[in-house]
Amino acid sequence: MHEYSLVQSLFDRIGAVATEQHAVAVKRVRVTIGDQAGVDPQLFQSAYEIYQIRTLCADAPLEIARLPGADLTLDSLELEVP
Amino acid sequence: MCDSCGCGDTHVIPFDVHERMLAANDRAAAHNREHFHDHQVTAINLMGSPGAGKTAILEATARAMGRGVRVGVLAGDLATENDAARIRAAGIVAESITTGTACHLDADMVHHGLRRLPWRTLDLLFIENVGNLVCPAIYDLGQQANVVALSVTEGEDKPLKYPTMFRKADLVLLTKIDLLPALPDVRIETIEANLTAVMQRPAMLMVSARTGEGIAQWRRWLEGIGRIHTAPCASCAGAGVSV
Repeated sequence: MHEYSLVQSLFDRIGAVATEQHAVAVKRVRVTIGDQAGVDPQLFQSAYEIYQIRTLCADAPLEIARLPGADLTLDSLELEVP
Repeated sequence: MCDSCGCGDTHVIPFDVHERMLAANDRAAAHNREHFHDHQVTAINLMGSPGAGKTAILEATARAMGRGVRVGVLAGDLATENDAARIRAAGIVAESITTGTACHLDADMVHHGLRRLPWRTLDLLFIENVGNLVCPAIYDLGQQANVVALSVTEGEDKPLKYPTMFRKADLVLLTKIDLLPALPDVRIETIEANLTAVMQRPAMLMVSARTGEGIAQWRRWLEGIGRIHTAPCASCAGAGVSV
């Protein structure tokens, strides 16, 4: 169940980016989870949906790209900015 | 604010990040690794299922190392300090990292745990991870080598069922081999073949903490790792015994 810790790290990073960019909301989150990353994409998705409530990501769908290999990355965001 | 008319509307922009999700942990692990390198401490991340025999191996290692090698242990568990207490009783310094609900250790927890241990005076630091064959595998702690304990009673196909863990292992300790006479269906060749299928550099040692069988070879493996403690990464420390 390390997916929950990973999602927490993800939100820490997204929060830092959003603050830097003066974003008022995050509209989309794109990540890659490699098939050998040791992370279950469905559990990751569930953890994300629990964490996103009442955050800047509340309306941001999570897109998970699956690739061969052990990649586990935050790829890109769509930010709502003034 | 809207650039064109000042109406206050927001707009959406793409923003590339392209960063490892565990980047913060990687930085903390690099920091730990630098500490270990500077003080010539060989750090081993010992992983395995609950009940694989990790603590018993550490007790046997403490006995085998004698006074010449200064050994210490950081033992991670969800609750209780039982493992650290057991290891201290075997004569080596040990502290617990009680993770609460977390199913693994991360580099920050190890960094905090080090504050309670005279780690700079050690030759060999074992980080006994939370008993779990899944989550600990993806967190770098700053260790020099990953060792996975697999007991003979766990099933020959464990390496195939939990490939991420065994892929990360520099060495697998096949533990509790004193039980083999009671397990006529367990075939060592099958375990070896399954490890070969998933490990990057297959290496396994057969040990019994109870009888001491194999502990001398394990000690030699550790001494081999210690001599090359400047190796930059865990997978570079390939002093194992080929399967």
